[in-house]
Amino acid sequence: MSELRAENLSKSYGATKALDGVNLTVSPGEFLVVMGPSGCGKTTLLLTILGVLRADEGHVYIDGKDIDDLPIGERNIGYAPQDFGLFPHLSTYDNVAFGLRVRGFGRSEVDARVKALLSLVGLEGLEQRKPSELSGGQKQRVALARALAIDPCLLLLDEPLSNVDEATKAEVKANLRETMRRTGVTTVCVMHDPEDALELGDRIAVMYMGRVIQCGTPRELVENPGGEAVRRLLHHG
Amino acid sequence: MAGAFILFMLISLFYLYVAVGSSWSLVARALLNSRILGALWVSVSAAFIVGALAIGVAIPTAYVLTYSEFRGKSLIETLLIEFPQTFPPATVGLVYLLMLGPGSPINIAYTYPAVIVAKLYVSAPFALSFTLRRFREIHGMGLDIIAESLGGKTRHVLLWVLIPLSTIDLLGGFSLTWARAMGEVAATLIFAGAIPWKTEIFPAVVYLTSQSEETKSLALAASLIAAVLSIVALMLFRWIVGRRR
Repeated sequence: MSELRAENLSKSYGATKALDGVNLTVSPGEFLVVMGPSGCGKTTLLLTILGVLRADEGHVYIDGKDIDDLPIGERNIGYAPQDFGLFPHLSTYDNVAFGLRVRGFGRSEVDARVKALLSLVGLEGLEQRKPSELSGGQKQRVALARALAIDPCLLLLDEPLSNVDEATKAEVKANLRETMRRTGVTTVCVMHDPEDALELGDRIAVMYMGRVIQCGTPRELVENPGGEAVRRLLHHG
Repeated sequence: MAGAFILFMLISLFYLYVAVGSSWSLVARALLNSRILGALWVSVSAAFIVGALAIGVAIPTAYVLTYSEFRGKSLIETLLIEFPQTFPPATVGLVYLLMLGPGSPINIAYTYPAVIVAKLYVSAPFALSFTLRRFREIHGMGLDIIAESLGGKTRHVLLWVLIPLSTIDLLGGFSLTWARAMGEVAATLIFAGAIPWKTEIFPAVVYLTSQSEETKSLALAASLIAAVLSIVALMLFRWIVGRRR
């Protein structure tokens, strides 16, 4: 379990400030939900932490170590994008095994870990299915298992429930909560639905126009929303 | 409009069939003619080699063009993809003849490798264009970033993600490169000449035999053989692509 600290992160696309001095600390094992309206910089924040984007200013620390110059592959951060990003040519098993194989794990170790992870996310029996043969909820679980396979110090989830149909959403959410509880990995999760955020997050960071305008527990946010933007967001998403 | 265009595109092939149709023994004669067989061999083998080489160079080049940012990238892309398709093939042949011909430190003029070099310059842009488009598409999907975040190095991204997800496009690129290499004549003729069984390619032998009244019908029969061969090969490529899809 690791601690994540984002310090004064700023990132601009031309004249648009996607991140404007973001400060954030996520404690070891904590599940932090980042919420905010479209275009407020949530995904930019995730991609900057992941290392795809480089901040114009500020730093990202994991366990106190500045990781700004570390390539993506050396950060050991698990990432599941909004569309799940499953490799379409690989089976469920091979998707989950990908990170272990590139890291040179032996066949039996890969097998044991993949089976354990598929069991954890409740996907036993679907090992040979291709992503095109899976439902939205199942894809989300494969993406989660794949991100967890590398034993990451940090997990980044971008809208994990947005491509899941309403019928299975409750089940997927329960599975997500249980998986995070059992693995205890520090997680930053972008969500737009306030109901999901309040239900899943240990804490919620509310972003607005590139800034974190309030960060607190679901209870703190509900009982004491810091301004009209937070209140509106909690009521309308 | 569509019907008129389809007719326009097919009528020459139909005419070729009708013209030869009066004497099928000509086709048999052409198939037994050593010069025509030699030209067929040079053309078909060179087209396969050029197709394979083009894919071999297109993959690393497309990777660099997808993932590297450098000054003049757009110009380099134009010079690698669009320009060779508009640069007159005769000029290409002439440039190679001066650069790699008699009097230069490396002289491969009028050899089989010269056939490959000339055809590769003219045809490889098709393979590169297909590969580059697909690599950029995959990059846009972010699958390479996922692979990297999981610890994948360049070789893993290339061999485990980009290439497997590009097989249809690579086959398509190979197929068009092959077709273009089969049809290319001017650059090859100038740089490699027309030595039977060595550098004489099919379009050259058709042109040369069609100049004499005695062998004109033979040229016609040979053209029909080449057309059938190309259609069969291209349909085969299309079938393979369809199966993989």
